[in-house]
Amino acid sequence: MKEYDAIVIGGGPAGMSAASVLGDHVKTLILDENDALGGQLVKQTHKFFGDHAHYASKRGFEIAKELTDEIYKKPVDISTASTVIGIYPQNTVAYVKDGREELVRYKKLLIATGAMERQLPFINSDLPGVYGAGAIQTLMNQYGIFPGKRFLIIGSGNIGLILAYQLAQTGAEVRMIVEALDKVGGYEVHANKVKRLGIPILLKHTIVKAMGDESVQGVVIAEVDDKFGVIPGTEKEIVVDTICVSVGLIPLTELAEQAKCKIEYIPELGGYVPVRDERMHTTNSDVFVAGDLSSIEEATTAIIEGKLAAMQIVKDLTKTDLGKEISDELKTLDIFRSGPKSFKIRKGLEKMGIKVPEIEVPKLFQTPIENAKSKLHAVIECTEEIPCNSCESSCKFDAIKVGENINTPPIFDPSKCTGCAVCVTACPGLAIFMEKLDESPNATIGIPYEFLPLPKFNEKMWGMDKEGNYVCDLTVKRVVKNPNKTNIVYVELPKEFVDDVRHVRYPKKESPFVCRCEEVTLDQIEKIIDSGITDFEEIKRMTRITMGPCGGKNCKMITLGIISRKTGIPISKLSHGTSRPPVKPTEFSAFLRGDEK
Amino acid sequence: MIDRASVVVVGGGIVGSAIAFNLLKMGMKNVCVIERSYVSSGSTGRCAGGIRQQWSSSMNVKLAMRSVKLFEQFEKEVGMNIEYYQGGYLLLAYTDSESDDFVKNVKMQKSQGLDVDILTKHEIKEKFPFINVEGVKLGSWCKSDGHANPQIANIAYAIAIRKMGGEFITHTTVTGIDVQNGQIVGVQTDNGYIHTNTVIDAAGFESPKIGEMVGITIPVYGERHQILVTEAVNHFLDPLVINFNHNYYVRQTRHGSLIMGQGDVNPAPGEDIGNTIEFLEEMSEKMVRDFPIIKNVHIVRQWSGAYDMSPDAQPIIDESKSVSRFIYATGFSGHGFMLAPAVGEAVAEMIIYGRTVTTDISNLKMDRFAIGIEREHNVV
Ligand SMILES: Cc1cc2nc3c(=O)[nH]c(=O)nc-3n(C[C@H](O)[C@H](O)[C@H](O)COP(=O)(O)OP(=O)(O)OC[C@H]3O[C@@H](n4cnc5c(N)ncnc54)[C@H](O)[C@@H]3O)c2cc1C
Ligand SMILES: Cc1cc2nc3c(=O)[nH]c(=O)nc-3n(C[C@H](O)[C@H](O)[C@H](O)COP(=O)(O)OP(=O)(O)OC[C@H]3O[C@@H](n4cnc5c(N)ncnc54)[C@H](O)[C@@H]3O)c2cc1C
Repeated sequence: MKEYDAIVIGGGPAGMSAASVLGDHVKTLILDENDALGGQLVKQTHKFFGDHAHYASKRGFEIAKELTDEIYKKPVDISTASTVIGIYPQNTVAYVKDGREELVRYKKLLIATGAMERQLPFINSDLPGVYGAGAIQTLMNQYGIFPGKRFLIIGSGNIGLILAYQLAQTGAEVRMIVEALDKVGGYEVHANKVKRLGIPILLKHTIVKAMGDESVQGVVIAEVDDKFGVIPGTEKEIVVDTICVSVGLIPLTELAEQAKCKIEYIPELGGYVPVRDERMHTTNSDVFVAGDLSSIEEATTAIIEGKLAAMQIVKDLTKTDLGKEISDELKTLDIFRSGPKSFKIRKGLEKMGIKVPEIEVPKLFQTPIENAKSKLHAVIECTEEIPCNSCESSCKFDAIKVGENINTPPIFDPSKCTGCAVCVTACPGLAIFMEKLDESPNATIGIPYEFLPLPKFNEKMWGMDKEGNYVCDLTVKRVVKNPNKTNIVYVELPKEFVDDVRHVRYPKKESPFVCRCEEVTLDQIEKIIDSGITDFEEIKRMTRITMGPCGGKNCKMITLGIISRKTGIPISKLSHGTSRPPVKPTEFSAFLRGDEK
Repeated sequence: MIDRASVVVVGGGIVGSAIAFNLLKMGMKNVCVIERSYVSSGSTGRCAGGIRQQWSSSMNVKLAMRSVKLFEQFEKEVGMNIEYYQGGYLLLAYTDSESDDFVKNVKMQKSQGLDVDILTKHEIKEKFPFINVEGVKLGSWCKSDGHANPQIANIAYAIAIRKMGGEFITHTTVTGIDVQNGQIVGVQTDNGYIHTNTVIDAAGFESPKIGEMVGITIPVYGERHQILVTEAVNHFLDPLVINFNHNYYVRQTRHGSLIMGQGDVNPAPGEDIGNTIEFLEEMSEKMVRDFPIIKNVHIVRQWSGAYDMSPDAQPIIDESKSVSRFIYATGFSGHGFMLAPAVGEAVAEMIIYGRTVTTDISNLKMDRFAIGIEREHNVV
């Protein structure tokens, strides 16, 4: 039986980074059940957020390729299409390759099997047309197969959000994302990417059942109460042909269990996880874990954990002094996990007995960017404390600062910005835009664009706001193609709308809604204007625009923009109606004085 | 802008627009409406849209019945759907004297050919189970009453007027009227001068200012009325309900929202059309008491507008004795929208034929104030 100093099970980012370190020092084998290494990364077509030093702002499959290339340069035995079926006494790993059982022995074992998707029970969840997020990504991004046309996504974590975005990129219709919690689970920038495509995220909602005889033809969704119970009477039917469940991942612990590692239930880390120390050592002295198996996290942490485990293994086997390297990696991990989004991970690790130092995320303040108005400059819309510094690393002119703590939101110095727009293409959250506002009535903005076909010079498009609502018509002025496929479309638009437009799209056949509350379309407004009714107040009375519960917060400016475009009168010269109380819809009961009696 | 017109209508609210529309319909050319702001910027833009025929004087009933005929034909004649809905009007009586009035009125209204009935408290409860009828004595119910969208009606007229070749000029203010030897020669606006010999004062609660331009006194004044609208809810309320005793009216639009208002408890002077929080409190108290199901419905907006009040709460429609072809149609006292189609027709007839043909409105002449007046009771 072949014997290795170290065997790594799982060829995702954790396993690969570990094998890469191990290969430099000891005789190493890496096993993965897939035909190629890469784990989750190979399915990911989006740019990863995270630490620049750990491949952030590259697309998942590119990271996989880089890590794979690196490993192939090392003296590491690589065995793909090899499914590990069990861990047996005397440090034996059994795996199946080409339909045949193989046995190998290890001195030290690293298990990095990652996680699998959590299931969600609902009526008819066995109908064809119900998929996990990963399955859809595999079909779509690896095999180019589209499982459906109209999707409903359950779960608003990063995976659900990213999947929604990827589906939209293929031209599929994502009807909505439903989320049982009262806030979006994933990062704000990812949610924004989806929202501006017009995909609504319905909070406090869940799926009740799938409908259809042979396959999914629709779903029933409903609102949930604080205990996640369905509130009767709130059920709604939605026509979709594919349901995508993305409600989290569960660590794949079987092999660790068989290796006699202690397993504990720590929901903050993803459910049952192997107990391990800071350096990824489990309760079995020969076995280590890393990556999503040890806690559901990110590629960056998986990579660092893989390295940590590998260094500790090398240290144990060869007595090489890696103390400094290990403590550097530990520090990076601690800083990475110091943000509010890692709150659960910190809590989970503490339950396991691992002390996580309290590191405060520095609060930096953005100075107003007045002085940069007239030149082309970046506008960064990233305020959530998430572990990412791609923008800082991308800027050659030192105009963007994140600093030592990767969770600090970027601070932008417009005086140093040259307008090169490299940051726009680097940002994985597509949260950076370009803007130029000078004396002319029109402004220019640059928008990161990852759809095909690419717009062309002078084409007319629609400007859409952060929620995916129509804002105004605009003209394409320049398209900058970028090798990383985040292209920039520069458009010219009335300057009143620079802060609103965050996405551009080709005009649809159906007229866009200008006012969603009252379902008033652009077409309706244009027709009224064509009939000679050009006053904002008259148009309002004819169409009910701005008369809905939101009081016209969005649609008022948009309507003024349409009037201005059609009549040639600048927006500043138009009358814009009167604001009337109450500013927010208020129940009659709020005004009842004697009600309590 | 044009510099000559056969008639200049001052004020492009519902009344002025209805008059101009009827003039054009009867074949008159060069009709011109001058509106200071946008179409429906006056009381019409703030109006609740109720259309009823249950009035306390027989001539008012007749005029209102004629209006209802014209509202029924509005879409065909004027060319736009104005959300007209004949869901009826329910008037509630709480006192004996109110009940006596209702019974007397219904008798008179029936004699005018109106299909109207007294409902007992029990019948009201059966028909409208969502109304809290505590204290109600009886009700007066006319099922051909109803409501429409006044703003759209106003704009519909404006579009029709332009289509028929009339001039409807907005954002232009009449600043003076030239009179020589008792004859009108022209109208001065802030955008130019228009030669004409006929002027119609349809400037709503500001009609006295236009009157002053030719030296006559019109006893009309503005009085603030507040109103509110809720979010849209499922249709449940067919009729417009008026409650004089509790001082409110309420209706549900085709769109689903509830529109309701009251006579101002603390009236503000004429041109103040601000909003008060007390209005919301007063309305909530009584509306939730009488319509418990709306307790958790959201109020979306409140606003206010001026009633163009006359001393007897009835319109004043007449031609000036001192200035020939100066005609005024004003003082609608909170019911100018519902009367506008019939008034438009009558005034157009006055101008073209020298007298009304279809409906007699001689009770609305100015000289009634010299004789002594009977106030219209049925107003909120
Ligand atoms: C849609 C999506 C978007 C994401 N976006 C980001 C992002 O932007 N930034 C970021 O940092 N992270 C992101 N992540 C998370 C990141 O992909 C994971 O945290 C990371 O891949 C975990 O690495 P891993 O090596 O632990 O596990 P995996 O990548 O899951 O790899 C585990 C490997 O082990 C193999 N394996 C399992 N069991 C066996 C067995 N018995 N025998 C043989 N092989 C086995 C699996 O097939 C797999 O190849 C995203 C994840 C998803 C799903
Ligand atoms: C809150 C509220 C609720 C109401 N509810 C009802 C109801 O349910 N049913 C009903 O029938 N009625 C109702 N009314 C009354 C109704 O709105 C009015 O009686 C009607 O709109 C009067 O129409 P109008 O054309 O005479 O006046 P307006 O609509 O006021 O029109 C007069 C126009 O003259 C213009 N004008 C004034 N001065 C000049 C000038 N110098 N030059 C040029 N233009 C000038 C003004 O800008 C204005 O647009 C209500 C009114 C209010 C305020």
